[in-house]
Amino acid sequence: MPASALFAATLEQSINKVLALDSESESRLAELNGSRLIAFLSPMPFGITLVFSDRVDVLIEHDDFESVKAQLGPKDCCIKTSLDTLPELRETSQLTRLIQQKALYLEGELGVAQQVSGVFQNLDIDVEELLAVRTSDVFAHQSVESIKALHQKVMSMLTDARSVVGNAMVEEKKIAAHKLAVMHFSDEVSALRDSTERLDARLRDLEERFK
Amino acid sequence: MSDNQASSTPVEPSSVESSNEQTTHFGFKQVEKEQKASLVANVFDSVAAKYDVMNDLMSMGVHRLWKRFTIDCSGVRAGNKVLDIAGGTGDLTAKFSRLVGPTGRVTLADINLSMLQVGRDKLRDRGLVGNIDYVQADAEALPFPDNHFDVVTMAFGLRNVTEKQNALNSIFRVLKPGGRLLVLEFSKPTSEQLSKLYDMYSFHLLPKMGQLVANDAESYQYLAESIRMHPDQETLKGMFEEAGFEQCDYQNLTGGIVALHRGYKF
Repeated sequence: MPASALFAATLEQSINKVLALDSESESRLAELNGSRLIAFLSPMPFGITLVFSDRVDVLIEHDDFESVKAQLGPKDCCIKTSLDTLPELRETSQLTRLIQQKALYLEGELGVAQQVSGVFQNLDIDVEELLAVRTSDVFAHQSVESIKALHQKVMSMLTDARSVVGNAMVEEKKIAAHKLAVMHFSDEVSALRDSTERLDARLRDLEERFK
Repeated sequence: MSDNQASSTPVEPSSVESSNEQTTHFGFKQVEKEQKASLVANVFDSVAAKYDVMNDLMSMGVHRLWKRFTIDCSGVRAGNKVLDIAGGTGDLTAKFSRLVGPTGRVTLADINLSMLQVGRDKLRDRGLVGNIDYVQADAEALPFPDNHFDVVTMAFGLRNVTEKQNALNSIFRVLKPGGRLLVLEFSKPTSEQLSKLYDMYSFHLLPKMGQLVANDAESYQYLAESIRMHPDQETLKGMFEEAGFEQCDYQNLTGGIVALHRGYKF
């Protein structure tokens, strides 16, 4: 059984389920009707093609980037990058830098990639409403509020931690002892320990003599 | 059809094929060539209504992955013309319809009217209209012009065709130069243990499931027998080459229970 087919089926189901949760997705998808986004994301061994109609179909691309590039249609876009770089693509201002650094290869209609990005970034899913259908309004409201509060608390803690680390890096680094000074101090401590041990030995020797 | 249940041991296809040129196999049974089409038609008339349910049940849903893999290998692009022969209830056609878009065209062809009607109703219910044609056609004599389609697919249909070589020749004729044929069909498991397990499943469990769900054990007994009578991977590849296809290859799926054959017309 081809595992890639199972992966594509799962991805397709997930994407379409998520898109269906936002009623605005339909109009955004309509703008992409007939377009294709082909993505080669290392270390994945195959490419993924998203085909847009009234829904999203996911296909596995068995050809390599160069072969696909040669067959692109007017509404097709093909990208090659790594999974690590993917989050950076949200910022369109980063695209030029990534292309120059050869972290991103982009062929075909750039507008398709931007529109696809827009479809997912502009998702507005009313989780409370969805939860209320399965549970009750009160439970859904309280759950969502609790999760929001928890999220805010975690974010606030992360911000504080980031601030502490930042201060330590910027302010305390300046007054921190230099590596050479620390080594010199360690040497002095070692020398002092040796002297103390010698003195201790002498004292014990004297005590023996006067007994 | 009950007398064809007498034997549960697979017979070598070659021994049956060569026994008499006027006869052919229908499962493990020898029948007149003219009879086979109507016998196969009876089977599919009988199972059409429960076809999708039984497919899911028999394969535990894996048939969807086999078909998906076929579509992945089709290289279909927007604007292409696709022919889905023996398309049955339209699993491949549904996806192709979206992939070729409004500028492309998908033809769902099946020799069996009952299957075609089930497929047409299903696709229309899903809102897939506009770029799909439905044609009742015999794969051995396709009613389409030469060099017409970019991609031709045939999923689980070839083994029911009386003269398989004629069907491949006919497909070759209607494909455009540069077009490709994909045949997804039951084949020969690559491991001996799997083969034994598979025989047990198909000859003992499958007809019982058919009886239980579709109230038709005989059709599913025929299914098991017809799979054993179908040419193995290498033989079918040879038939592709004989029809004129080039760069022919195949990929075994689920240990060779199913194989996807691919060939190009240049």
